[in-house]
Amino acid sequence: MIRRDSLLHKLTQLHWFLLLTIIAIATFGTLVLFSAGSSAHDLATGLLKIDATYAIQHATRFVLMLGVALVVALLPLRLWAAVAYPAYAIGVVMLVMVDFGGVVVNGAERWLQLGPLRLQPSELMKIAVPLALARYYHQMFSVGRSSLWTHFIAFVMVLIPVGLVLRQPDLGTALMIMGTGCAVIFFAGISLRLVIGIFALVAVLTPLVYFFGMHDYQRQRIETMFNPEADPLGAGYQLQQGLIAVGSGGLAGKGFMEGAQKELKYIPEQHTDFIFSIIAEEFGFVGSLVVLIAWGIALIQGMQIAGNSRSTFGGLAAAGFVSTLLLYVGINIGMVIGLLPVVGIPLPLISYGGTVIVTVMIGFGLLMAVHLNRANDMTLSGLF
Amino acid sequence: MSRDWRNQFPTRRQMFLGASGLVFAGLTIRLAELQLFRQAEFETKATETRIRLEPAPPHRGTIYDRTGRVLAGSKRNFYVTLRPELAGDDREIADIIDRISRIVPLSEAKKRSLYQEATTQAAFRDVLVADDLTWEQFAQVNVMAPELAGVTAEVGELRSYPLQAAFYHTIGYVAKANEADIMRMIEIETKAAGENPESPAGKARAAAVRRLYRHPAMRLGKTGIEAFGEARLKGDPGKIRLLQNAGGRVIDRLPSEDLQGKPGADVVLSIDAELQNFAIQRFGIEAGSAVMIDVATGEVVCMMSTPAPDPNLFVSGIAAGPYQALRADERNPLYHKAYDGVYPPGSTFKTVVAAAALESGAMKPEDTVQCSGKAWYYNRFYNCWRPQGHGTVNLHSGLMHSCDCYFYRAAEKTGIEAIAEVAKRFGLGHRYELGVTGGKSGSVPNDAWKRKVIGEQWYAGDTISAAIGQGYVTATPFQLAVMCGRIASGGAMPNPHLVASGFNVPDYEITPMGTFKPGVLEAVRSGMFGVTAEPGGTAYNYLQGGSVDPKGELPAPYTNAKMAGKSGTAQVRVIQASERNSRGEAIKNDKLPWKLRDHALFIAYAPADKPRYAVAVVVEHGVSGSGLAAPIARDLLAHALKYDTGSRKPFVPKPKEVALAEQVKT
Repeated sequence: MIRRDSLLHKLTQLHWFLLLTIIAIATFGTLVLFSAGSSAHDLATGLLKIDATYAIQHATRFVLMLGVALVVALLPLRLWAAVAYPAYAIGVVMLVMVDFGGVVVNGAERWLQLGPLRLQPSELMKIAVPLALARYYHQMFSVGRSSLWTHFIAFVMVLIPVGLVLRQPDLGTALMIMGTGCAVIFFAGISLRLVIGIFALVAVLTPLVYFFGMHDYQRQRIETMFNPEADPLGAGYQLQQGLIAVGSGGLAGKGFMEGAQKELKYIPEQHTDFIFSIIAEEFGFVGSLVVLIAWGIALIQGMQIAGNSRSTFGGLAAAGFVSTLLLYVGINIGMVIGLLPVVGIPLPLISYGGTVIVTVMIGFGLLMAVHLNRANDMTLSGLF
Repeated sequence: MSRDWRNQFPTRRQMFLGASGLVFAGLTIRLAELQLFRQAEFETKATETRIRLEPAPPHRGTIYDRTGRVLAGSKRNFYVTLRPELAGDDREIADIIDRISRIVPLSEAKKRSLYQEATTQAAFRDVLVADDLTWEQFAQVNVMAPELAGVTAEVGELRSYPLQAAFYHTIGYVAKANEADIMRMIEIETKAAGENPESPAGKARAAAVRRLYRHPAMRLGKTGIEAFGEARLKGDPGKIRLLQNAGGRVIDRLPSEDLQGKPGADVVLSIDAELQNFAIQRFGIEAGSAVMIDVATGEVVCMMSTPAPDPNLFVSGIAAGPYQALRADERNPLYHKAYDGVYPPGSTFKTVVAAAALESGAMKPEDTVQCSGKAWYYNRFYNCWRPQGHGTVNLHSGLMHSCDCYFYRAAEKTGIEAIAEVAKRFGLGHRYELGVTGGKSGSVPNDAWKRKVIGEQWYAGDTISAAIGQGYVTATPFQLAVMCGRIASGGAMPNPHLVASGFNVPDYEITPMGTFKPGVLEAVRSGMFGVTAEPGGTAYNYLQGGSVDPKGELPAPYTNAKMAGKSGTAQVRVIQASERNSRGEAIKNDKLPWKLRDHALFIAYAPADKPRYAVAVVVEHGVSGSGLAAPIARDLLAHALKYDTGSRKPFVPKPKEVALAEQVKT
């Protein structure tokens, strides 16, 4: 017999279906990245050209982070509840440091150079905000507080990092943190009437923000989205070329490693933010749907985990992370196919790049930790 | 209570998943729209983006000599272009030009002008950085190209002139078109198509012409046949499909047979390149020109002017330094001496005066004149070239000895109007349209001419000067050759022409020779025969008795052929009386600087009894027509008779397929 609290027992209890979904998506991502560098018929030589640099890097990172995710999953959930506030605090401090003395890389992405370490605090906040909020609600609900004020304070906890990230300015990440935070507040039970009211307010405020609260380049991105052909060589170029790639993919796509738009490198950032254009071009409508369905499955799994958690912390943290995933996938694909402005959000597990995979895999680790600890209601006394 | 959120969670989760479902549904609908319903549209767009249609310069027509030798052909050309909009800002353009110059040597001046061109003209237009690269340079640029944004190494065609300097003047050269050239071509093309330049069709044609001539590989004829025949030689441009990547770099050439243009027409000249080359060698270091016409056909078989630069230097643009040197050269290498060079015909004009005197009846062949070395007309002395005089002279001996006094008298009695008329009938005073740019008409003066051009009446003394081909009379070597041919053939010679096939060069204004009274031309020819073949003739001693074939080597019917001719010496400057010594002799030419020495002229035809070729030779500042020009004329005639290419029909080029197949292969 396996002892109930042994490591081996915990491993058998892992949410294997979710784990397999993640592995499937990441494997597909590796394939797509392999195709991004390669070509079935290289135009210069007509021969098979293979460049697996992206694919190997991506797979390596994924395997590494899969280990990290498992460690996160197997550690006691109460540990993560304990680090929630400190992580949030450190994140806010680092955001302040970035805003006043950070290193600028690649326009909107802000990094903090701490000795040899290069951190992107805004990325950390995507995990730290739902954790801190979950922790906060867990504490509040356990003492019976659930007034409007409680939600208001939670909202302020969201606004602080959002404001700091907006200052950088990184519109995409700010929106994601905002969305994740609001989702947690929503799941925490804020009154629906208020939600509707806020939506109405946002609808009114949006034009004001657009005209007075945005940088020119942000406004330009939005304008380009609505009229990409007005500026085919400038800001609309990436989107236009992305649309051509997606559209020319058709029902079944051009085939693995056969994408012409891809090969001629018409799409800037095609292996990072615009990776979905390669999927759509080479695997067509069918392949695009498969990706959507895979992510849909992951989201439903995540939400089931959230619902099954007996602890407030676990449930809300899980729900918050699932919201983050929805935002990632929705915004990324939406921007590639021209439904949303190009805001620089990658497609998790598929896009090339180190930061997003760290965030997302830690998040999945947490999700699985919530799953493993679903029976533990983590009363306050058990938390500390 | 924590129960609070827990109770609500299923509902909220449903709402969340519902919203997620809406998001995914939205994405799916949009994907379906793009990929299922608008696929064709994006496929077209993808093709449009990837494929660039470039005008493909047509294969330029080849110019052949009458034997089928290529005088102007096309060779494979590796060239490098730069598209400024892809290269980046001005600094990056300068950097790229710098890096190319490490592979293909570019002078500092060239680099500056390239930079100027690349930063000022429209950024989407390719700039020609360098052409005529070696294969190694081409390969190196190709290897480097991915790092050099906007740089493309291409293969095309470039004009080449295998005989180099020999045909610089007649064929001319091609070079990159400038704005004025383009405007001219637009005008010619719209006129040829009968379109109104303001109409849409006319504007489209103008744009197409401009686009073609802006192509880095396209050249335009600047002078000579190349310029005159530009419209025919250039052909119709086609288009080529190029596969380009996002950087605008050409990845591949796609099949473009359906867009192929039409190659330019081949042109065949009546000139015999062998004879032309021989003439240039024969002139050696002398500057001058020679024109030979086949009397039987009117074909120009030789038309050379020496010295000449290599036209290949001009095709890719000649540097300012060498060009200035060519311009400053006192031997005028850039000048078509045979067609544009206007000289006093000197004593060669005496043939005209002789014919006019006989035709008008002013003199009879046997009428004599006393020559004492000078003659008194209208209150001044006119000198004979021989201060001792020639004694009693008639028409035959007057021509033979080139006695000035005889022709002073003959001209005085004949009058300038009759002389001018015969000069015109002999072919002087007209610019012959040969299909070559340039060309001068010279002048055949009379009273009306002088009133019009000089604004003065004709004085009797002017006639005396004209008698010996000085004064207002001028002619080009080409006209002198025509004159010689007409004298030799007695008017049977067809009008002279240079282009055997390829394009038409109509010349409707040539004065026909008409018929002379019996005996007139015979008398002139007899005098010209005396010049070369009778002891005492001015050229007799220099020509060893006027035989073209002293060794009897020429094929029949030219074996032992003799020639007839007339020498001439054209003064470059007016000799003042003060410059003559006590015996009336002018200062010797060899004491003068080269530039001030007399021109040496000789016109001749052979065989003397049955003329076939007529030639005019002018050696600039060569001093003696008989001494220097006559032997050259003889050797050219001997060469022409030996190979007798004039008697064979000019070469007919093969159909275009061969040339085209070669072009496609490259």
